[in-house]
Amino acid sequence: MIERLGLVTTQLPTTGSSVMALLVVVLPLLLGVLGAACRPKRGWPAVLASLLALLPLLTLTPLVVSQGTQAWVLELDGLTLHWRANGLTLLLLLLTQLLVLASAAYAPAYLRVAVQAQGRGPAWLWPLMGLLAASLSLIWLAADLLTLYIGLELMGLSAVGLMLLPGREDALAAGMRYLLLALIGSLAFLLGLALLLGAWGRLDLAGLAEAVEAGPVLWVAMALLSAGLLLKAAAFPLHAWLAPVHGSAWTPVSALHAALVIKASFFIALQLWLVFAPQAAVAAWVVGGMGAAAVVWGGLLAWRADKLKDVVAWSTVSQLGYLLIGFPLLIGTAPAVASIAWDGVWLQLLAHSLAKAAMFLAVGNLMLATGESRVSGLAGASRRFPLALLSFGIAAISLVGLPPSAGFTAKWLLLHAALAAGQWPWLLVLAVGTLLSAAYVFRVFRYSFVEDVELEDYRPVPLRMDLIALILALASLLLGLAATWPLALLEIAGGGP
Amino acid sequence: MPPLDDVLLVTLPVLLAAFVLLDRHLVRACSLFVLFALAVALTWWKLGFLWLAMLETLLGAALTGGFLFHALGVGLAGRAPTARLAHARDPVPLIWRRGLVHLLPVLALLGMLAAALGSLPASDGSLAARWSGLVLIGLGLWAFALHTHLLRRLLAFNITGTGIFLLLMSLVGKTAPAAGQGLVITGLVVALLGTALGALLVRRLGALVPSREPASASDGQAS
Amino acid sequence: MSQAWLPLITLATSLLVAPLILLLPERAWRARAALNLSAALLKLLLVGLMVVGLYQGREFAFGFTVVPGVEFLLRVDALGMMFAGLSSLLWLATTVYAIGYLEDSPNRKRFFAFFSLCVASTIGISLAGNLFTFLLFYELLTLSTYPLVVHRGHPAGLAAGTVYLRYTLSGGLVLLLGVVGLHALVGDVTFGEREMLRDLDPSYHPLLIGLFLVMLLGLGVKAALVPLHGWLPRAMVAPAPVSALLHAVAVVKAGAFGIVRLVYDVYGIQLTFELGLLTVLTVLSVFTILYGSIRALAQQELKPRLAYSTISQVSYIVLGISLFGPFGTIAGLAHLMHQGLMKVTLFYCAGNYAEELGIHRIDELDGAGRRMPLTSLAFTVGALGMIGLPPVAGFISKWYLGLGAVQAGMPWVIGVLVASSLLNAAYFLPILHRLWFRAGPAHGKGQWPEERCLGRFETSGWLLWPSLATALFSLLAGLLAGLPFSPLDLATLVATEEYLP
Repeated sequence: MIERLGLVTTQLPTTGSSVMALLVVVLPLLLGVLGAACRPKRGWPAVLASLLALLPLLTLTPLVVSQGTQAWVLELDGLTLHWRANGLTLLLLLLTQLLVLASAAYAPAYLRVAVQAQGRGPAWLWPLMGLLAASLSLIWLAADLLTLYIGLELMGLSAVGLMLLPGREDALAAGMRYLLLALIGSLAFLLGLALLLGAWGRLDLAGLAEAVEAGPVLWVAMALLSAGLLLKAAAFPLHAWLAPVHGSAWTPVSALHAALVIKASFFIALQLWLVFAPQAAVAAWVVGGMGAAAVVWGGLLAWRADKLKDVVAWSTVSQLGYLLIGFPLLIGTAPAVASIAWDGVWLQLLAHSLAKAAMFLAVGNLMLATGESRVSGLAGASRRFPLALLSFGIAAISLVGLPPSAGFTAKWLLLHAALAAGQWPWLLVLAVGTLLSAAYVFRVFRYSFVEDVELEDYRPVPLRMDLIALILALASLLLGLAATWPLALLEIAGGGP
Repeated sequence: MPPLDDVLLVTLPVLLAAFVLLDRHLVRACSLFVLFALAVALTWWKLGFLWLAMLETLLGAALTGGFLFHALGVGLAGRAPTARLAHARDPVPLIWRRGLVHLLPVLALLGMLAAALGSLPASDGSLAARWSGLVLIGLGLWAFALHTHLLRRLLAFNITGTGIFLLLMSLVGKTAPAAGQGLVITGLVVALLGTALGALLVRRLGALVPSREPASASDGQAS
Repeated sequence: MSQAWLPLITLATSLLVAPLILLLPERAWRARAALNLSAALLKLLLVGLMVVGLYQGREFAFGFTVVPGVEFLLRVDALGMMFAGLSSLLWLATTVYAIGYLEDSPNRKRFFAFFSLCVASTIGISLAGNLFTFLLFYELLTLSTYPLVVHRGHPAGLAAGTVYLRYTLSGGLVLLLGVVGLHALVGDVTFGEREMLRDLDPSYHPLLIGLFLVMLLGLGVKAALVPLHGWLPRAMVAPAPVSALLHAVAVVKAGAFGIVRLVYDVYGIQLTFELGLLTVLTVLSVFTILYGSIRALAQQELKPRLAYSTISQVSYIVLGISLFGPFGTIAGLAHLMHQGLMKVTLFYCAGNYAEELGIHRIDELDGAGRRMPLTSLAFTVGALGMIGLPPVAGFISKWYLGLGAVQAGMPWVIGVLVASSLLNAAYFLPILHRLWFRAGPAHGKGQWPEERCLGRFETSGWLLWPSLATALFSLLAGLLAGLPFSPLDLATLVATEEYLP
């Protein structure tokens, strides 16, 4: 498993492209600076700036594809930082940049229509978004715990900042709660790091993987690290903060948060488990059980939710449960099973990120157009806002896991892995999750198909906003049949091509 | 028998922290927190981490303190409106039974930590710092779970963080000082930024809801 | 190279029409109608090309890998072509019908877009070359029919839509579990590779039985096998063209077709027989046939009566394939086509009565034969076919079913057939009697519930011609059963392939 993460000690670090790696992290910041300086009123400057951030990826990708995993060592006054890029890293970087691009293209129109320059909030959006993108890139690239810690904290703080931007009372109250929990999560993470560093004296993952030995120190450290990360990832018993935060946040921010921020914590957690406890099957089952509870509980809450955004937010809790089920399928299982589950987990992550971003944008459009934030306010929407509803529907197909979406292909792989591993409970969980997600998604549709409502005042949103949501939704749909491409990229893991 | 100044340096932060966390008068608690940060800076200096001592003074004492006072509406010149100062007192009294209940999970965590730490040998000089770190962590977490006042939670967070820094440096002081300092510096910056965000939020919330107690989030179930 | 792309283009004709329709403005009904009709004609042509190619022994296949070990495969075989031919023929007819039916009603753009998607899914189902691809389109069918069922947006429609989804999504999920289970056991099963399961060690047989039953459960929901039929009568609230399509080709047939695929092309009839699963199918289908007919008798309204009749008639298909022997197979497969033609005719006619005269209840039909002679004629042909009278297509099905029962050594099935035919007669003949021999408003007695004069003829030409065409086809399918390219001929081709290796 550790080879799949691209963590190899034997390989000589390549130095030629370290500029590229730095650029991957730094260029998103440029978006922030430019955005703050110009306060773009139109989409294209923001799009150009985000496209700029894609450039280093374009040079990095052929390098990784042809030469296999790239690793860099950065010396900083006695500190050594380890970075690496393999197929998985590239995939996640690409996902991040694309979603940031989509949000950046969406944001100017959204700010113009929905926010109307109230307060200083809009000015802060761009730098925080740039910081978020940079910290996410840092997390994907990091191969040592210090870099991971820096990335995680930067991400957490910029995410909290983004959530606070609306400046309304409910946003501030929810944001305060999020901030406190995020801070507690960081403390737990740091304490875990302290134990690891104290016991084995190093922070690079590849070195630690060889050095660590099972024992109370490792277990306590892992418990602390996991608790902190799962808190930030809104995993089941620690999920209560999520929906209020999304309820009042701006749409493009919600999209980024649900699609990427939560995934980053999950990514770190899975990575740490695979590195430090690749055989801890029992503990992984505990995490899987949490995932199962999340699938069911999140689905139920989404079903019962009154507000549109709550539906989408709770569905994130539920969908994250699918990812957590990856733990027992990846840890302590036979290589054949783990290989299927590996593909399934990352495909699920991609599918959910794209679909959830699309869904948040679509729901934002619907709320903006109807002026209603409740599900029942959608009555008649199918006639008036077909495009937004279509985006919602396509994203929903992927969330429910119906063919031909990427969510379906991912579910297929997870089901296959669970069957191959003989872990029957997960079959049941995936089945229940599918039905629940269908229930909450079609509840929204049911309202939208209601015809006998009066034509109240509603305002159409700019076409661009609808199109961005639609493109993301279509991406998540078509990825299901084109899954070979990301999966082939995932194969580029170890030393050689 | 360790020398007296060592004992003093270790017990002083713990004592100050206890006062910070138990004082319901928030301006006094914040002032005590600045003192606490200075005491911790002294400890760093004594342990031989000059850089950390300077950063602790700058980030921990000066800037964090400044933000905390900003949250309370206390300006540099002390010309704060009295109405706000009247609010600067946690209205929720400390109920000892609740306090004891909240102590249990904290003790469980500390027990876990102690079990883990038991297998990590400590040199003489760092043992004291380790213990004070553990006590600070326990105190901070306990207070964090107990108080509902947002500012007091920020204080508790800062004290827990400091405890973790102390514990961390006591563990890695000799083996990997660079990595340890990197973590602590990152942690200090994060704590400062977090406190700053929190303080600004407390202030904004207070301005938005003048009728209610500005910083009570009793509906929030955060622990 | 055109051979590999032919199935793909056929699928694309209706799949790509959906977004095109969505792009057209709501008012542009002429452009939309032209687009719909030309796509339907093109598809019919393409399917015809493939059928001809199939008779010439050419191979059409298109595939790519989705994830390692799982392939998306479109492939042309005789069984699939029967279904594809049926759906493309009826798509054309139903498109014409729907254009007339939905004239001046709201949301037509949405309707036709999802209508095209629905047909694309049925074509996908018929062309699917393995279980994965089949499942893909099977679920897509659920999704694309939901907006059609709730199209009118009134509470009854929405409630029916919810029930429909509950059944079909659960069914799809169960099917998914079964398919994944089979995939985990033997890998990708291309339809026709029967040896993969046959050569498995007998110790796997209990597992195979379990998986078969799971998949049968999933498919049985759409095929409306009792007790999984609850959604079908409720889905009657949908507009008439939707009911017609749901009953004749799309949903119900997709389930039945899936069972056919499962029995013949995945497990193989031999293995299914050896595992004793054919008996399960026989019992289920016999029960469904009788239950559906009895419930149909009790219905007072026209569409629900037709709905229960569908439940009963679709099970003839299952009954046919459950009779071990070529005649049973021929009967089941031929009925797949015949039932589609006859049932779609009946639903068109029911829609015509409702649109022109506002008739929903059976006792309102008195004397309608005089007012709407052509529609009533079409209805009569369909009803007689359902009862199984020669020369309508339904007779051929029942005849071969009887032969199959004898061949399979289950003569008691003939008793069931007779009983069911009597029941069919008992619920269809009174309707015919009312149509032709009772005096009603057309004879100056009372008045129609809500009469509208929709066109030059007895009703709008858009509504009338499709009904007559399908009625004619059901007659021809019976009369010309011996000619090449007839449903019976195709069914015989499949049966020969199955039994003569």
